[in-house]
Amino acid sequence: MIQSLVIIEHDGQRVMRGSLSAITLAHQLGGSYALLVIGNGIAAVAESARAFGAASVFVIDDLGLLEPLADRYATIIAEVAQRIGASNIVGTSSTYTKDILPRVAALLDAAMLSDVTAVEIKDGVTLCQRPICAGSQVATVKIEGNVRVLTARSTAFAVPSLNCQTCPVEQIPVDAASLPNGTQFISREQRTSTRPDVTEARVVVAGGRPLKDRETFERLIGGLADALGGAIGATRAAVDAGLASNDCQIGQTGKTVAPELYIAVGVSGAVQHAAGIKDSKIIVAINRDPEAAIFQMATYGLVGDLYEIIPRLMAAVRS
Amino acid sequence: MKILVSFKRVSDAASQDGGQFVINPFDEIAIEEALRIRERGEAAEIVGMTIGTSVVDEQVRAALAMGLDRAIRVDDSRALDPYAVARIFLAVVRQERPQVVILGKQAVDDDANQVGQMLAGLLNWPQATFVSKVEFLNGNQRVRCTRETDRGLEVIVVNLPAVITTDLRLNEPRYVSLPGLMKARRHPIEVLSCAQLGVGVQPRTTIVSTRPAARRSGGVRVESVQDLVARLRQQEKVL
Amino acid sequence: MDFSWSDSQKELLDGVTRFASRHLNEVLIENERNHVFNQAGWKKCGQFGIQGLPVPAEYGGLGADALTTVGALERLGYACKDNGLIFSLNAHLWTVVMPLVTAGTEAQKRKYLPGLCSGTLIGANAMSEPNSGSDAFSLSTTVRKKGSKYVLNGSKIFVTNGPIADLFAVYCTMDKSKGPSGVCGFLVDRNTPGLIIARKLEKMGLRTSPMAEVFFENCEVPVENLLGGEGGGSFLFSRSMTWERGCILASAIGSMQRILETCIRYANTRRQFGQPIGKFQHVSGKIVDMKLRLETARLLLYHGAWLRSKGKSAFLEASLAKLHISDCWVKTCEDAIQIHGGYGYMVEYEIERELRDALGSKLYSGTSEIQRNLIASLLGL
Repeated sequence: MIQSLVIIEHDGQRVMRGSLSAITLAHQLGGSYALLVIGNGIAAVAESARAFGAASVFVIDDLGLLEPLADRYATIIAEVAQRIGASNIVGTSSTYTKDILPRVAALLDAAMLSDVTAVEIKDGVTLCQRPICAGSQVATVKIEGNVRVLTARSTAFAVPSLNCQTCPVEQIPVDAASLPNGTQFISREQRTSTRPDVTEARVVVAGGRPLKDRETFERLIGGLADALGGAIGATRAAVDAGLASNDCQIGQTGKTVAPELYIAVGVSGAVQHAAGIKDSKIIVAINRDPEAAIFQMATYGLVGDLYEIIPRLMAAVRS
Repeated sequence: MKILVSFKRVSDAASQDGGQFVINPFDEIAIEEALRIRERGEAAEIVGMTIGTSVVDEQVRAALAMGLDRAIRVDDSRALDPYAVARIFLAVVRQERPQVVILGKQAVDDDANQVGQMLAGLLNWPQATFVSKVEFLNGNQRVRCTRETDRGLEVIVVNLPAVITTDLRLNEPRYVSLPGLMKARRHPIEVLSCAQLGVGVQPRTTIVSTRPAARRSGGVRVESVQDLVARLRQQEKVL
Repeated sequence: MDFSWSDSQKELLDGVTRFASRHLNEVLIENERNHVFNQAGWKKCGQFGIQGLPVPAEYGGLGADALTTVGALERLGYACKDNGLIFSLNAHLWTVVMPLVTAGTEAQKRKYLPGLCSGTLIGANAMSEPNSGSDAFSLSTTVRKKGSKYVLNGSKIFVTNGPIADLFAVYCTMDKSKGPSGVCGFLVDRNTPGLIIARKLEKMGLRTSPMAEVFFENCEVPVENLLGGEGGGSFLFSRSMTWERGCILASAIGSMQRILETCIRYANTRRQFGQPIGKFQHVSGKIVDMKLRLETARLLLYHGAWLRSKGKSAFLEASLAKLHISDCWVKTCEDAIQIHGGYGYMVEYEIERELRDALGSKLYSGTSEIQRNLIASLLGL
């Protein structure tokens, strides 16, 4: 009997590394767990998920599931969960799981807790910790019901290492015609980047509103990131101003990152942004304003003009 | 077309003493979008819904002042969770029968980001979440939405009736104007109980305790790029 | 005496505080240094309803009584640090909007009030001249009738909002020998040929409120723009002045409240000689006096506004309020600098700016000396 069903996220080519953190959460919940991969043409993705200690990797592969449409995916996930009798449906917090898993919860008459940073089962009661109020508080929450939906904050659960045992892959057939048909996928911005994903990168360079324009942002923030082999991030204000695309946004309503090195350039350090970076190992802040809040949380702070500092920093790291 | 829009009372993040309350910023965006849809002539009626005791009426009047036609407050003093809220909203949807339900994507106190999606699942309606652009098509039969996702912007089209949740960049909400505030005072607020709506739901998640998050403390001010690079290289070994 | 606000007034006033603290507090130091007017802020105020506060609803306003209006302006002064923006709003309200409301023809009201209320039109007052300030009615700008037009000639100084205004309330004389009874008021649109907005004037404070010299060179104004009848200018001006005196310093009360709170916070956190400086009587004494001044100034303001709201005359009260509030505001700002020590003198702490802004209040709307003269004559001296 499988205790937890872990939803694995991918982009069609490879598994999203962060989504593997959910396996660690499943492990902590106890009992056996199975992974679920949904999409089209995903045999290779499923194959790469076999060595993570799961009881099974379930694969649902159909042309009608090429794109993660919430109404379709939620129906499938709920069916699989019911079939295997899972008590927990688990994923890693992302826009994918945020879109789909609450709907799954509704279909299973279950409650859901997102962005869990720690879990404890005490006297049969599942207690989860999660951030609230833009990360300024941590709440310990009890979740009840026979079925529970949980998403892990990726920075709080390590990606499990591969173990040598591999599990079977099981194809689950689906009658796509019977799936909900109310959503039509039109397009997605194609952004090809040689840079690592911001949630996976070892180094993140983030820029704020003071960067003049998109070109300057790319030249300075992108340039420094490239010199360090890192990813770029942005504050909400920078994205609002069109300096960077929305998928770079880090913070309460964007992504959460915990790289080894986070360099915040022209970032004031508002609590909503801080919420997305506090677990970084080293934070470096570069800002013209010595009173900027970011300096209160940065490991190293350098007060000065970013237009002078960043080029010099780029040169220094290259040498 | 009738639009139902939800809003939640939250603590004002901007106020220094924490004693002020406002409409959840994402819900303000939801209300604003509904108003713009009506101003374009695509909707005839906008009804607002919220849950809470009479203290919430401060926000109900602010929402009415923005321009809602009617407002419903479900009177409930309990600490609710998304599970319960979605089921209460479901009962209101069944009463009001809107073609679209618009909600803010998340409340800035619990940051849950679940209610809209749960409601869509319970209704078996399509959903468009984290939208940054909304466009009605085919004489209000379908709606084209741009969504902000981890992979960038995505465009989908969903059939109506549907549930939409708003992201930050969808619009800039209008101010609650003084004339609006004064007019709103004359609007009655429809207060309903869960019993009247025929819904008896208990929350499934309960906050047992809260504590302030561990705060990082500020470290060292460096004086130059050389100093910074030296420390990162030699001391921290991250370069 | 019941000094409490009604629930609906409280909601309105809280709405003003929330609006101003959220939308009117951009970083000011740079803009103040560069004399930048907050154009976006002006429009927001218009959409919110500030410019329409005392205007009847049928013309696009809120129709609020004098007491509610000053209460709202007090909150604006409290929550918005841009005294210059507020000064521009006040100039617009009391020198153009209110005269239109009280003395405008129906056609004039319908033509101008909606735009003046919504933030799309900015009003300015052209009264003072290089040679007539306190002696207002000794003005020299002339007007003569020419067919269906009036022709204005002369120069005006200290025109607040001059550089950005769409509509000017201009006072001129048909016959200087008649003194006050020769004075007429006109509404002049900005793009009227012959209206020349000349050099911008740089002030000690209120620098985010633009001010200019304005010249009239055979400026032809249509007859329908006469405000208040031929020879009715002085009566119009005096009546406007009463409103102005009674209301223009309402926001100063709010500023004083904010400054008091800032000083209390500072006195409690700044430590010298082993204790918070608020424990030293020289410091606490100054703050106590700030509170005393704030309360007396507030009471005077509200008493006059209350009388107005009841439809009673408040000529003496308006003058007393204007005189006293300006004195209190300046003294409070001075003491705030003193309490903050060296930091009070530094631009980045934004305290010294308050004093520079406040000093103007002893000069505009009738200098403190003129107020004393007025009050003296009302006391029968």
